[in-house]
Amino acid sequence: MGSDLVEVSINTIKMLAIFLMMIQAVPMLVWVERRGSAFIQRRFGPNRVGPLGLFQLLADAVKFIFKENFVPKNAVKFLYLAAPVLALIPAALTFTAIPLSTPVEVASFELFGQSWGPYVFQFRGFEMNIGIIYILGVGSLGVYGLLIAGWASGNKYSLLGAIRASAQMISYELALGLSIVGILMIYGTFDLVELIGSQTGHLQFSFSGKEYHVGFLPNWGIFFQPLGALLFLVSAFAESNRLPFDLPEAEAELVAGFHTEYGGFKMLVFFMGEYGHMMVASALFAIFYLGGYHIPFVSVDSVKEFFLSTEMFGTSTLASLMTALVFHLSLLFKVIFLLWVFVWVRWTLPRFKYDRLMSLGWKTMLPWALVNTIVTALFIYYSKVSG
Amino acid sequence: MSLIDITFYILALTTFFAGVAVIAIPNPVYSALCLAITMIGVAGLFFTLEAYFIAGVQLIVYAGAVVIMFVMVLMLFDLKHEKKAFSKGLFSMILKIGSSAVVLASIFSAIYLTISAKPRLEEVNTDAIVAAKGLALQLFTKNVFAFEVIGILLLVVLVGAIALAKGKGGTHA
Amino acid sequence: MLDQLVPVMILFVVTVVFAGGLIFLTAIVGQKAKKSEVKLMPYECGLPGQESGSTKIPVKFYLTAISFILFDLEVVFLYPWTLVFAENVQALGGPLLISMGFFMGILIYGLIYEWRVGGLEWD
Repeated sequence: MGSDLVEVSINTIKMLAIFLMMIQAVPMLVWVERRGSAFIQRRFGPNRVGPLGLFQLLADAVKFIFKENFVPKNAVKFLYLAAPVLALIPAALTFTAIPLSTPVEVASFELFGQSWGPYVFQFRGFEMNIGIIYILGVGSLGVYGLLIAGWASGNKYSLLGAIRASAQMISYELALGLSIVGILMIYGTFDLVELIGSQTGHLQFSFSGKEYHVGFLPNWGIFFQPLGALLFLVSAFAESNRLPFDLPEAEAELVAGFHTEYGGFKMLVFFMGEYGHMMVASALFAIFYLGGYHIPFVSVDSVKEFFLSTEMFGTSTLASLMTALVFHLSLLFKVIFLLWVFVWVRWTLPRFKYDRLMSLGWKTMLPWALVNTIVTALFIYYSKVSG
Repeated sequence: MSLIDITFYILALTTFFAGVAVIAIPNPVYSALCLAITMIGVAGLFFTLEAYFIAGVQLIVYAGAVVIMFVMVLMLFDLKHEKKAFSKGLFSMILKIGSSAVVLASIFSAIYLTISAKPRLEEVNTDAIVAAKGLALQLFTKNVFAFEVIGILLLVVLVGAIALAKGKGGTHA
Repeated sequence: MLDQLVPVMILFVVTVVFAGGLIFLTAIVGQKAKKSEVKLMPYECGLPGQESGSTKIPVKFYLTAISFILFDLEVVFLYPWTLVFAENVQALGGPLLISMGFFMGILIYGLIYEWRVGGLEWD
C-alpha cells in the first residue's frame, strides 16, 4: 500500500474513490439504458424527474430504501440476504484492479515541517501484477451469487433460473478465456499496464523478417485479433447475462429467473453487480483491443509537455495529474461507447432459445476460439522463425 | 505482530474453520459453500507465499469451476435421503472417524517431514510474471511428459462423464 | 506481496459493509412488512405453487459443468504457455508448439467425441 503515511492514506482513499465511482456509475447507466431504449423504440422514457429525467434513479433509490422488506417463507434467510452482496463482490474487486490511466507522479513536497515524496500513484484501485489472471479468477466467482440467490429463495423458478444462468456463464467463460489467449500470445504478458503500453503508436508488425508500417491506423490489438475481439465481445454479453443472452431471467418462462423473490434494495444490489460486470467487460475490451487509455497517435510525453508549457499546470505534479485525467477521459470515452453498444444490442436483438444459446457457446464460439488460438500460434511461429 | 502476520492468520483461520465446517455441517449445500470459502482462502495463502500465478489458477480452477460444479449438482438433487444415510448410524460414524484419522495422520506426517527437512535455499524470483514464465518453461520443456499425460487424463475423465450421463439409470436423461 | 493482497481484503470488507449495510438500512427504515400467508408464498405468477416431491432437473447441466472444468483446465495451461511462446519462439518454438499442439489435440479430440455422441445436444 505504500511506505509512509501519505502514500498509504492516498492509496486507500483512491481505492475507495474508485469503488464509489463504480457504484455511482450504476444510476447513470440505468438512465442511459432507459432513455436509450426509449430512443430506440421512439418513446420518451423517464423525463419528468429533474432535467432530462436524470434524477429518476435517485428517486428510485429513495423508493427502494423505503420499500417493505420481507423474506419469503421457503427462503433460507441468511443466504437469501447474502446473495446480492456476493453478486456485487466480484464486480467490485475486479473493477478496482483495472488500470484507468497513466500513473500520477508527485514531486517531493513540504508538509508539517517534513519533506515527503516523491511518489508515483497508479491510476487504479490497487496494483495487481498478474492482472488478467486475477481478474479472470475473481470474475469466475460471480456464479456463486446467482446460484445462492436461486437456491436460497425457495422458489422453483428461481432455482431453474439460477441453474440456467450458471450453466450459461460457465459455458461462455470458456470462450471468454480462450478468446484472449491470442492477444496474450502476441504481447506475452499478463500485466494490463504492459498490454496497454504495447499498443501505442501507429500499426506496425514484422512478418518473415520484414517490417510493415500502416501509418493511418493505431497500433491496436483489434487489428491483430479481429476474431478474438468479436468472440470476447459476444462472451462478455453472455457473461453479464444481458440480452440476447438473458435466458436466466426469461420472463415468459421463468417469471424473473434467479431474482424473482428479490425486491427493493436487494434487487438494486444485483443490478449494481450486473452493471459492474458490464463495466469490467467494457474496460477489458478497451484494454485488450482498443489500446486502453491511450489516444491514437498522441504520446503520453507530448501531452505532458503541453501541460508543462501552460502557465496554469506548469509544475510537474500538476502536469502529470492533468495528463492522467486526459488519458482517463480517453478510456472513459471508449468504455462509454462500449456500454452504449451493450444497450444498443439489448434493444435490437431478440432473445435466444436455450438450446440455441448452449449450442452457440459450445459448437460455435468454442471451436472458433480454438481456431483463433491455433492460427495465431502458427502465425507467430511462421513470422518469427522463417524470418 | 506485523501486518504480514495478521494477513496470514486471518487467511489461515478462515481456511481452517471453513475446512472444518465442510465436514461438520450436515447440509451438503452448506458444506459445498464452505468448501468454496476454503478454496478462496487457499488462494489467498498462495498469495502470501508470493505464488501469484498459482493463486490465480486456484481461483479459476477450484473456486471458479470445480466447487461451482459441486454446488450446482447439490442444489439440483435434493439430497434428503442421502443426508440421513450419511449423518446417522454406527457405520457412518466409524467411517467418519476413520477417514478423519487417516487425513490427520497424513497432515501431521507432512508437517513433520516439512519441518525436519533441511530447507534448500534457492534464489526465488518474486516478480509474478517472471516467476510464471519460469514455471511455464519448466512445465513445457523439462516436464512435458507429465503435461501430456494430464491431457490424456482429462480426456479419460471427459469420456467417463459422457458415458455416465448418457447411460441408463440416471436421474433424468 | 502485501501491496496486492491487503487492498483486496480491505475492499472485500468495504463491499460487504456497503452492500450489507444498505440492505440492513432498508430493513430498519423501510415499511414494516405485514406478514400474511399469501405474501410469503413463493411467487409463481399468482397461482399457488405445487410442491410435489423433489424437482427433477436434466443431468445435462452436470455434463456441461464437468466439460467446463476440463476445458477450463486446458485454458489455464494455455496462459503460462502464451507467456513463454512468443518470447522463446526462435530458440524453443518448435518443441513448445508440438507440446501444446499435442495437448490441445487430445482435448479437441475430446470435444469432437462429445459432439459426435450428442453430449452437446439440448433438446
